[in-house]
Amino acid sequence: MKKLYILLLACLALASCEFDDDINVNPNKPSEASGGQLLANAMLSLPGLSSSPQGEFMAQYLSETQFPGGSLYPEGATSFYGLYTGPLMNLEEVINAEDLDGSEGPIQNQKAVAKILKAYYFWNITDRWGDVPYTEALKGEANFTPVYDTQESIYNNLFALLKEADAQIVAGDISRDYDIVYAGDMGKWKRLGNTIRLLMALRLSKVNPTKGQDEFNQALAAGIMASNNDNLVFKHLELEVNENYWYSQVGRQQRLWWALSETLVNTMKPTEDPRLPVFADPNEEGEYVGLPFGKLEGGVPGDYAMLGEDIWRQDAPVYLVTYAQALFAKAEAAKLGWIAGGDAEAKTNYEEAIRQSIQQWTGSTAGVADFLAKPEVAYDPARGLEQIATQRYLHLFMHGYEAWAEWRRTGYPSNLIMPGGKAIPLRLMYPANEAANNTQNYRNALQSLGGTDGLYSKVWWDKD
Amino acid sequence: MKKTLLLLLTLLSALGMAYAQQREISGKVTSSDDGSALPGVSVVVKGSTTGTSTDAEGNFSLRVPDETAVLVISYLGYVSQEVPVANRTSFNIPLSPDNQQLQEVVVTALGIERSERSLGYSTQQVTGENLTFTKEQNVLGSLAGKVAGVQVSGSSGASMGGTQKIQIRGVNSVTGGGQPLVVIDGTPISNANFAGRNGPDYGNLAQDINPEDIESVNVLKGPTASALYGIRGQYGVIMITTKKGSKGPKKVTVQLNSAFSVERVGNLMPMQNVYGGGGSQTWRTLANGEKYVDGTDESWGPKMDGTPVRHMHSFYPQDPMYGQLEPFVAHPDNIKDFFETGFNINNGVSVSGGNENTTFRLSYNNTYIEGVEPNTWLKRNNLGLSASLALSEKWNVSTNINYATNEAQRPAQGYYEGSRNFTQWFQRNLDMNRLKNYKYPDGTFYHWNINRPNAAGVITNYEPIDWNNPYFEAYENLNNDSRDRFFGDVGLSYQVLPELKLSGFVRSDIYVQNIEHREAAGGRFDDAYSVGKYQNKEMNYEFLAQYTKDWNDFSFNVNLGANLFDRDYTYLSQATVGGLTSPGFYNIEGSRERPTVSNYILRKQLQSVYGMATIGYKDTYFIDVSLRRDHSSTLPDPYYYPSVSGSFVFSELLNWKPLSFGKLRASYAKAGNDVAVYATSLNYEVGGLYGATNTSYVPDVLNNPNIEPSFATSYELGVDLKFFNGRLGADFTYYQQRNENDVIELNVSGASGYNSSFINAGLIVNRGIELALTGTPLQTERFSWDVALNLARNRGTVKELYPGLESRLIESNTYSGVSVYLYSNVGQPFGTMVGQAYQRDEATGKILLGANNLPLYTTATHNFGSVLPDATGGFQNTFRFGQFDLSAMIDYQFGGQFFSWSRMLAVKAGLAEETAALNDNGKNVRDPLSEGGGVKINGIYGPGTPLAGQEFNGYVDARAYYRTTLGTRVYEEWLYDASYIRLREVRLGYTLGKAQLGKLPVERIGIAFITRNPAMLWQKAPDGLNPAELATGASSFSWLETGALNTVRSYGVNLNITF
Repeated sequence: MKKLYILLLACLALASCEFDDDINVNPNKPSEASGGQLLANAMLSLPGLSSSPQGEFMAQYLSETQFPGGSLYPEGATSFYGLYTGPLMNLEEVINAEDLDGSEGPIQNQKAVAKILKAYYFWNITDRWGDVPYTEALKGEANFTPVYDTQESIYNNLFALLKEADAQIVAGDISRDYDIVYAGDMGKWKRLGNTIRLLMALRLSKVNPTKGQDEFNQALAAGIMASNNDNLVFKHLELEVNENYWYSQVGRQQRLWWALSETLVNTMKPTEDPRLPVFADPNEEGEYVGLPFGKLEGGVPGDYAMLGEDIWRQDAPVYLVTYAQALFAKAEAAKLGWIAGGDAEAKTNYEEAIRQSIQQWTGSTAGVADFLAKPEVAYDPARGLEQIATQRYLHLFMHGYEAWAEWRRTGYPSNLIMPGGKAIPLRLMYPANEAANNTQNYRNALQSLGGTDGLYSKVWWDKD
Repeated sequence: MKKTLLLLLTLLSALGMAYAQQREISGKVTSSDDGSALPGVSVVVKGSTTGTSTDAEGNFSLRVPDETAVLVISYLGYVSQEVPVANRTSFNIPLSPDNQQLQEVVVTALGIERSERSLGYSTQQVTGENLTFTKEQNVLGSLAGKVAGVQVSGSSGASMGGTQKIQIRGVNSVTGGGQPLVVIDGTPISNANFAGRNGPDYGNLAQDINPEDIESVNVLKGPTASALYGIRGQYGVIMITTKKGSKGPKKVTVQLNSAFSVERVGNLMPMQNVYGGGGSQTWRTLANGEKYVDGTDESWGPKMDGTPVRHMHSFYPQDPMYGQLEPFVAHPDNIKDFFETGFNINNGVSVSGGNENTTFRLSYNNTYIEGVEPNTWLKRNNLGLSASLALSEKWNVSTNINYATNEAQRPAQGYYEGSRNFTQWFQRNLDMNRLKNYKYPDGTFYHWNINRPNAAGVITNYEPIDWNNPYFEAYENLNNDSRDRFFGDVGLSYQVLPELKLSGFVRSDIYVQNIEHREAAGGRFDDAYSVGKYQNKEMNYEFLAQYTKDWNDFSFNVNLGANLFDRDYTYLSQATVGGLTSPGFYNIEGSRERPTVSNYILRKQLQSVYGMATIGYKDTYFIDVSLRRDHSSTLPDPYYYPSVSGSFVFSELLNWKPLSFGKLRASYAKAGNDVAVYATSLNYEVGGLYGATNTSYVPDVLNNPNIEPSFATSYELGVDLKFFNGRLGADFTYYQQRNENDVIELNVSGASGYNSSFINAGLIVNRGIELALTGTPLQTERFSWDVALNLARNRGTVKELYPGLESRLIESNTYSGVSVYLYSNVGQPFGTMVGQAYQRDEATGKILLGANNLPLYTTATHNFGSVLPDATGGFQNTFRFGQFDLSAMIDYQFGGQFFSWSRMLAVKAGLAEETAALNDNGKNVRDPLSEGGGVKINGIYGPGTPLAGQEFNGYVDARAYYRTTLGTRVYEEWLYDASYIRLREVRLGYTLGKAQLGKLPVERIGIAFITRNPAMLWQKAPDGLNPAELATGASSFSWLETGALNTVRSYGVNLNITF
C-alpha cells in the first residue's frame, strides 16, 4: 500500500511545468487609480445623500399619490453599506495614499478635499442612524467587524478632521478635470469644510451648547461660505448616466407618484412664496393643492400640486450645503447668543438667508421684499427660533434628510402629521445584515438603543 | 444532408460487394442455459469483415472463403466462442452466459471501463433509452428521479430548453455552489448558464448533447468516483457515453426517429373574478359623469358587475371604441387566453455500422419548437460522428465529433419581465383578445397601464407606467439568442504489449453564444438594443498508460496519466444608452449617447498528473488507490488528492443460490476545488463617467492573495445485492462528506469598506443514504413488469464558518424595501431562509395585532428553517405486453420550501382568489366592515397598544390586510412547502418486429404516445405554483419563485424506424 503510493508519487513528480507569468493577472480591470479619479467617483455619490423618497417622507415634503408605503413609516432596515463601500472607501484610499500624483494638484489639497468629503458623508450617516462604525471602519481586511462609535465621539472626530483639512490646505487648485463640483477651486472647498463644521456645531444646540458654541465660532473664524457660488451643488447633466434621480422616476418611468404635501403647500400658499411654482406644478385647475400626507388611499395626480418639473428635470441640480443654510445657522446662533448681535443680527441673517434661498431656487430675488413683509415671514423676536426653523425648512426643500434632522433638533415645523397615528421616526434602523456580518458589535449597538433596533430611539444630539 | 447520406450509403454498400464469398454455411445459436434461440448474435469470419447476425429464431447463414476460416460468435452477456469451419456446413452453437459480464461493465473516471464488481464506490447507470423514452431534450432534465441522490430541479418548458440543475448528495459547499462536471466520451464540457433570475432562460449548456446519441449515463456521486477528475470533479461527475457503431460483420443500421408533441399550459393560478382594475371600489368619473377604468395595475377596483364604463382603449382617439362606454365585466380566462398551443417537432436519423477494423456512427437531429408564449420559438440542429479505425494490430485511432446549433426567441421570466405580471400586477377585467390588437394602423400602441385621463377625458401622455401591453412585449421587445457549439476528441492508442496500452487524446469544447435584446419605441422604456458575444474554448490534452496483468489469483490494473486543461473565455457585450437615433434600427451605432461596452478575457490552465492502481484477488477482493496532483493557474501551489477504496464480492464465498451477487464496498477520498481566476490579485474598478470625466473606485469585493483550494473528504460504505438471477436488485449506500476550507466570498460588514472578501473557511458535513431498488415482479414470455425505485435522503449541517461568524448570506431578494435572505448558519442545515414573520404571543402563539387590528410583523430576522428537501427520488414502472410497452416515470421530493413572489403579489394586487372570497358572514371580504365584510382575524393586541394583551376576534379591511400588511410585509405567508409527487413522463408504445414487417426492408418500427409533465399528482404548495420548476440560471438552488414561466404539459407521438 505504502509502496504503491511512493511509486505513484515518483511518477507524478516527474511531471511539472510552469505557467506563463501573467496568466493570473487580471487584464479586465485597472491595477492603478489616480487620486483625482477616486475623488471624482466619491463625488458621484453626493446626490444620493439627498435624492431619496425616504428623506422626503421624513420631512413630509412629498405625499404619495399611488401605492402609499414609505410615507406610512413602515418599520424596516435601511442600509448604510453603500456609503462606506462606495464614496467613503475611495476617500479613505486617497487620505492614506502614499503615491498621489502631484500633477492633479497639491497632494495636501487632494487629501484635504478627501477629508472634507469624508466628514460630510459621515455626518449624514450618523445623523440618520446614530451610533455607527467610525474609528474602526474602512480598514478592509484589518477589521471586518468594526465597533460602533457613539455619535458624540463621531462628532468630535469629524470636528477634528475638518480642522485638519482646513489647516492643511495650501495654495494651488486641484485638477479641475476631476473636481466635478468646484472645478478645482480650493477656496470653495475650504469654505465648504468650515460651513459643514458650522452646521454640525449647531446640531449640538441642545445636547452640548458649550461645545457647539465653541466649534461654531471656530468655524466662523476659519471662513464659511460667502455666496451662493460657494454652494455644494451637484449639477446633473442631460445624459442618462448623469441624470437626476427624480427624472429617472417621473420623466423616464411616468411615475406621477409624488404630490407636495398639504402641510407644505398650506405654509407656502398664504405667503405667496415665490419658490412654490418652482417646487410644484399646479393641478389641472391651475391651483396649488397639497395632498394630505400619509393617507392610505393616496390621491389622483391631476387633483394635486405635483412635484415641479424644475425639480425633476433631467439636469436639475441637487443642493446639498448652501449659503442660505449658513445664514439661517448664523441667525439661530445670534438668537441663541452664540454670536454677538442678538435679535438684530438674527434678523439680518434671517432675511439674507431668505433672499439667498429665493435667489437659489428661482434664479432671481424678485418678490423677496413682498415676501419678507408678510406677517408670517417678517421677523418677530418672540417667534424668532420658530420662524428661522420654518424658513430653513422651506429652503431645504427636497433635502429631506437634512430637514428631518433639523426638525428632530428644533421640533419645527411643529405641524407635521402622524400618518395613521404613527409618529415621525427619529432615526433609521441599522442594515439587517449587520446582525450576521458584525454580530457582536451590532448587539452592543442595540444595547445602547435599549435592546432593539427601532425607528424611535433618539440620536445623541436629539434632546427635548 | 440527404445527399450526403445517400452518398455514404452507396459507398458503404460498394465496399461490401467487393468481397467475393465462396462457400455457404448455416447454423443456429442457442443459449446453453435453456436451449432458447438467441437472435442478433454476431457471427464473423475471423480476420475479415465478412459476417452476419442471427435472425429471430437464432439462425444464420454465411458465405466463407474456405475451410480454414474460423467463425467468431459473440453476443452481449455471453462468452464469445471461436468455431473453426473445417468442412462442416451446418452448425449448432450453444453460447454460455457470461456471469462476469452480467456484472456489467461500468465507465468510470477518465472513461476507464471496469467491471462493476471491482468498484469500491457507488455509481449508478442509466441507459440512453431510459432517458429518451418521452423525448426529453435536456440530458440533465431526463435524469430526474432516475438516480438516487441526484436532485434535478428544472424550469418550465415555456422557455424551450430552460435551466435544469443537478445537485449530487446535497449541498457540499457553504457557498451553495457545486454543480457536477459533465463529461461526454471522456471530454469534459461546459454546462454554463447565461440566464439570470430575470429575463430569458437560455438554459444550461449541456443541452447541446443530442439525447438520441446517448448510450448510457453514469453518475459518479462521491469524490471517490471523481477523485481522478481532481479539482473539476469535486461535486461529482455526470459521465455520458454515446452510441457507437459496433465492430463485427459489415452491417449498416439506419434509424429514423420522429416525434411531434403539442404543448399546453397547465396549473394556472386561481384568480378572483369579482373586482376589477383600480385601487378603490369607488368609481372614478370624468367631468361628464362617465365612469372609467383606472389604468392602475391592481385589481382592488370596483365590482365587475357590467356597469357601462370607459375602458382604457376608449381614451385612444384612433380606437374604434373611442369615447364609447362598454360593460365592466370579468375575463376569467384572460391569462389562459394569452397562451397559445405550442408544438415540438423532433426528427433524427442515425447511420451506424462497422467491420472488424472500423466502427462509425453518424447522427443528425433537428428540433423545432414553437412555444406556448406568443412569438417564441427554438431551432436546434445536432450533428454527431463517432468513428474508430484499427490502423494495425497495435495502433488504433478514434474520434467523436459533435456540432450543435441553437437559435431561439424566448419569453422572459422574473419580476418586471415580459408577461409575468399577469400574476403580479394586473386587472381581472382586461380582455386578452382586445389587448392582442396592440398596434393601431397609425403605428402607435395600445397599452392598458397608463396614467389617468384628466377630467375632460383626455390623456396627454400615453406612455405606459409599469407594464407594457403583453403583446407589445411579445412582438416588439424581442429576446434572441443563438449558439454554435463544437465538442469532441481525437485519440490515438498503441498497444505496446498485451498488458500495456498507451493512449493520447486531444479534447475540445468550443462555443460561441450570442444574446441580444430589443426594446422597441412606444413602450415604457426608451428604445434600446443590447448585444453580447460570449466565446469559450476549452482544450484538454491527455495522456494515459494502462497496464493490466493477471498473475495467478491476482489481477493488477495500473493507470498513469497526465492532463493539461486550457481555457480561453472572452466576451464583448454592448448596449445603447439614452435611446436609439432612429427607431427600429437596432444597432449599437444607433445609440444616442455613448454606449456601454464591456469586454472580458479569461485564461486558465490546469496541469494534472495522476495514477491509479487496482489489485484484485480471486476476483473477489479488490483494492484501489489513486493519487492526483493538480496545479491550477489560479493558485500559486499544486495540491494532491488521494483516494482508497475496496470491494468484497461476498456472494463468491456464500454460495447461497438466491443471492446471485453480493458486494460490500467502502471508500475514502479527498478531492479539491480551486478558486476563480484573478481572485488572488488586487485591482481597482472603472467607475461611472461624469460628462467626459472618468472615475475609478475601490472594488467592493476584496480579493485575497493567500487563498487556498477547498477540500472535500468523503467516506462511503455500501452493499450491492442481486437476487434470483437479477430479478431483484438493491444498492444501498451510506456516505459522509466533509467539505472544508471552502473558498468563501464572505459577506463582511460594509462598514469595513468592503461588502465581501474571499477567505478560506467553513466546514459543511453531509450525511446521507441512497437506495436504488430494481425488480422484475413479473416476467413471462409475453408479459413483463420492471420497477425501479430511487430514494435518497441527505442531511447537511454547516459546522463552521469563519471564526466569529455565525451565519453567512448566500442570496437575498428585496421587494419594496423588504428582503428575504438565504443564510448558511452554523449548527443548522444548509440554506436557512430568514425574513419577516408575524409577531406572535409567546404563550399562545397567536398573532400580535397593532392598534388598527392588523397583524404586527418582525423585522427580516425570523428564521424559517432550511430550504433544502428531506428526500428526493423517483419511481419508474415499465410494462411489456407482447409488442406493447408502457412506461411511467414519477419523481418526487419531500420537504424543502420556497418563497413565492408571484403568489405574494397576486394577493397584494387583489388578483388572487382569496382576496375576493366570502367570509363566514357570507359577505365578500371586500365588503365594508359595517356591512359584515372584511377578513376575519384573530389575535392579541401587541405591547404598546391601548388594549395590549387583550384578544381581538373580528374583521379587518381586506385591502389594508392583504395589500398593505400581508403583501410584502409578512413573508411567512408566502413560504411554501416544496414537497411534490409528479408524473413526469409516460409512454405507451407498440413495436412491429421483423415477424410483422415480413419482406419490408425494415427491421423494426416503433410507435408511441408520449407525454411529458402530464400531471402533478400531489403538491403541498397552492395551485399555480410548481415546486418542481423553480430553477433559474442565476441560483444554485431553488428557493425563490420570482415570476416563473407557466408550467407546460406536452402530449405527442413518437415514431421510430430501424432499417
